[in-house]
Amino acid sequence: MNPARRMLQPLASLKLTVVLLALAMFLVFAGTLAQVHQGIWVVVRDYFRSFVVWIDLQHFVLGELARVPLSIPFPGGFTLGSLLLANLLAAHAIRFKLTRRRAGILTLHAGILLLLLGELTTALFAKEGNMSIDEGSYANFTENLRRVELAVIDPSNPDHDEVVVVPQPMLERADSVIEHEQLPFSVRVDRWMHNSSLSRRESGPAGGGFTVTAGFGTRLRADPAPPVTGVEEQTVDAPSAYLTLSRGGQTLGTWLVSLYIDQPQEVSVEGKVYHIGLRFEREYKPYTIHLIDFKHDKFIGTEKPRNFSSLIRLVDPERHEDREVLIYMNHPLRYRGETFYQSAFKPGDIGTVLQVVRNPGWLMPYGACKLVSLGMLIHFGSKLATFLRRARA
Amino acid sequence: MNESRRQIVWLVVFMAAVSLGISPARAAANQTEDLQAFGRLPVSAEGRVKPFDTVARTSLMILSGRQTFSAGQENRQPAVRWLLDVIARPKEANAYKVFRVDHSGVLALIGRTNEDGKRFSFDEIWPYQAVISEQARLASQVKPKQRNAFQRQLIRLFRNLKLYVKLSAMETPYAVPPLAEGQQWRPFSEVYQEARQGGDPHPAVEPIAMILKAYHDGKPHLFGDSVRRYSRIVAEQLPQETRRAGFEVLFNRFAPFYKATVLYAVGALMACVAFLLRCTQRDGAAAGWSRVLGNAAVWLLGVTFLLHTAGLASRVYLQGRPPVTNLYSSAIFVGWGCVLMALLMERVHRLGIGSVTAGVVGFTTLIVAHNLVGDGDTMEMMQAVLDSNFWLATHVVAVTAGYSATFLAGFLAIAYILLGVFTRLLKPDMSKAIGQMVYGTVCFAALLSFVGTVLGGIWADQSWGRFWGWDPKENGAVLVVMMNVLILHARWGGMIKLRGLMVLAVGGNIVTSWSWFGTNMLGVGLHSYGFMDSALFWLLLFVVSQLAIMGVGAMPIRSWRSFSETDPTRSGRVESGSP
Repeated sequence: MNPARRMLQPLASLKLTVVLLALAMFLVFAGTLAQVHQGIWVVVRDYFRSFVVWIDLQHFVLGELARVPLSIPFPGGFTLGSLLLANLLAAHAIRFKLTRRRAGILTLHAGILLLLLGELTTALFAKEGNMSIDEGSYANFTENLRRVELAVIDPSNPDHDEVVVVPQPMLERADSVIEHEQLPFSVRVDRWMHNSSLSRRESGPAGGGFTVTAGFGTRLRADPAPPVTGVEEQTVDAPSAYLTLSRGGQTLGTWLVSLYIDQPQEVSVEGKVYHIGLRFEREYKPYTIHLIDFKHDKFIGTEKPRNFSSLIRLVDPERHEDREVLIYMNHPLRYRGETFYQSAFKPGDIGTVLQVVRNPGWLMPYGACKLVSLGMLIHFGSKLATFLRRARA
Repeated sequence: MNESRRQIVWLVVFMAAVSLGISPARAAANQTEDLQAFGRLPVSAEGRVKPFDTVARTSLMILSGRQTFSAGQENRQPAVRWLLDVIARPKEANAYKVFRVDHSGVLALIGRTNEDGKRFSFDEIWPYQAVISEQARLASQVKPKQRNAFQRQLIRLFRNLKLYVKLSAMETPYAVPPLAEGQQWRPFSEVYQEARQGGDPHPAVEPIAMILKAYHDGKPHLFGDSVRRYSRIVAEQLPQETRRAGFEVLFNRFAPFYKATVLYAVGALMACVAFLLRCTQRDGAAAGWSRVLGNAAVWLLGVTFLLHTAGLASRVYLQGRPPVTNLYSSAIFVGWGCVLMALLMERVHRLGIGSVTAGVVGFTTLIVAHNLVGDGDTMEMMQAVLDSNFWLATHVVAVTAGYSATFLAGFLAIAYILLGVFTRLLKPDMSKAIGQMVYGTVCFAALLSFVGTVLGGIWADQSWGRFWGWDPKENGAVLVVMMNVLILHARWGGMIKLRGLMVLAVGGNIVTSWSWFGTNMLGVGLHSYGFMDSALFWLLLFVVSQLAIMGVGAMPIRSWRSFSETDPTRSGRVESGSP
């Protein structure tokens, strides 16, 4: 046996396959239980798109029967996935021969390979965003529902707004002062709330003892809320923050910004007015989508949705496109490498929400499914035929 | 088989057929022809066109947990009579004890205790309506999954009162059909109001009002005539809906799944006795009887399976959808798939073990289905995103069939372990045959569950651009695939032999029950549910029982009674080698 084969031998073993499958099953199970306490995207990042995950043993306790303040390290999705891939490739390199008897297994394993690579491509390259458009209006950006940004807008130019944004990771660092030459003031984050609830302020200081001196926040209070979990109706965290703005060492005041507050709040700096607000991170597109008509049918006598559809007009000056498209359930629009799905609607049916996805690997599972199904049919089918022939004999 | 024994087989099948006929006859005796005709009238409720009979049954079920009721001394009265009384004879109806209240806290609110019974009339509860509304308002501020038993019961009672009031006012169901182009189903209350305010009366108003008036006045002949006259109008305009509604009433009265449950139990019992006789007596009269009984069991189970199939097909016809649309129908379908496969195995191997499994699994899954009926109509409409016959027919059916196959392998494995460890009945040839059955079923399960899971991913990609989202339900499905694949690789790699195959196949039951039910229960607080009556309790009990069986199966082969006196190494190995 040549040395390369000897080295591949342990990697190709079926025992390794079984052990890896068992570990993967545990990982998937743990990653499901974790969603009772954590948001689905946090779990996907920590469990399935990581090399090592610290699994909190508390997740395995039924209800609140006991406290187990312990977590154990465990191989994450990337580790197990790549080991399974290596195992599969090694097995084919040294054990399987290209024969007719093995045709089924070869096909099905090729499909598994494609499936794992497809999920890897998605993990690395897929991007999702939302585009919400009111009827009669248009949008030229998507919003990333998993991250927010602080927008500082200079509305003085009648043609367009000048916008400077502060991304979420900078806001999350408590008590740091954010300064930038394009910002008209420095921003100190007094308190960052990853998820929050907003209520009318009855009296006394705002949440956490901060005194809001300007904007809508003077009448409101924000309190931190636990992060949304994978098993709740609410699916998006709604951050809020208390910010103290200052210019040249002089404090301008303390504002409350929140995803719940969608009206811009004014900040006056040396006679010039800026608008500030917390909003979902935006990505601008070279085209616009106009919503002509949104339809939301319900079953008679119920609130159960029967169908949603959005009649849109796609305008792309770069590519000279200007056409109408009807987007509805299970019938998305595919355009410029992105796919637009009917996802939700705005309260009162005044507008539509489209999910916009860019995933270069989106076709891979389709091929994978065909290969694996075909492979299993060939393999098990021939086994069954042999068995029945023997049983009859 | 000689002639007299053949006759016995036919006798059993004949008796089964007779027993199928009995209950519609008895129900019919309680129901006059005219009441039945009224029950067949189509109405629209929860977005689906269905007969009054179904509305009456599901509403009464929601309120009281039963499909019949007692009117004074008259027991087991049909639901449609109750609904008519609620609408047209409120004085009588308000005295019927149909509101079920169990929780002592809720009972206390209406001035009762557990000793006063379980069901109360509208007249008894309505005086406490203000207290109930106030408490329901408080309880509804708690998230549904976090509510405790008191809060859940209270909200339920509040909703039931609302439903009752709406039914009596004819705000629900939408009883007025579209009799002309461009019309929609509408509630009678609305249409009647319009007519009274001098608008152009809807052509259905007068005939419906006449039916109700005749019923109110206690004029059976006039009632019958009015119902027939109105049925003709509706049938002319809505021939298809009328046909379907009529069929649905037949389906309701025939209750195929209820009958199948009973027959499966009988079949399982017969198959068990036949199997035991066959294993203990190799020849003589007992062996002959075992063959007769075994054949009768197979025939009975076959007939029951046809009944099961007919029920399934009726649901498909009534709903215009593939067989699996919700948890209830998935249980019916899982059972159907298991029974089908088990009976096919019986045909190939003729060991009796296939019939035993078919009967037991058919019975169990239908019992599970019965407990999943929940609130109201089991043929509810689908949310927009789920509204796709193509994907329901492919993805959902494949995944559910995958559950069937995994469960079947698991139950065969349980039979193997119990027979092997606790009896001397597991002979080498039978051991080998069950081994083949389990192995083949696991292969099939791997195929079905994989295809089903990936099709689900493709559906998700078509619907919202995400092939795989790692959400609990998806993870549950992929665990079933991985479990089956793990068993197969362990087997091919020689890590497990027959005994290991059986132990792991029982493990498949745990994974499948988790995927099927467990993932729906995530986030439900222990304190919030009445733990002992919750599905979570049954799931845990099932898991523990399966673990116990796995533990028994993992005992060394020499402690298995079936193998203790023979050569242990021989029985523990698969003869056919690596497949």
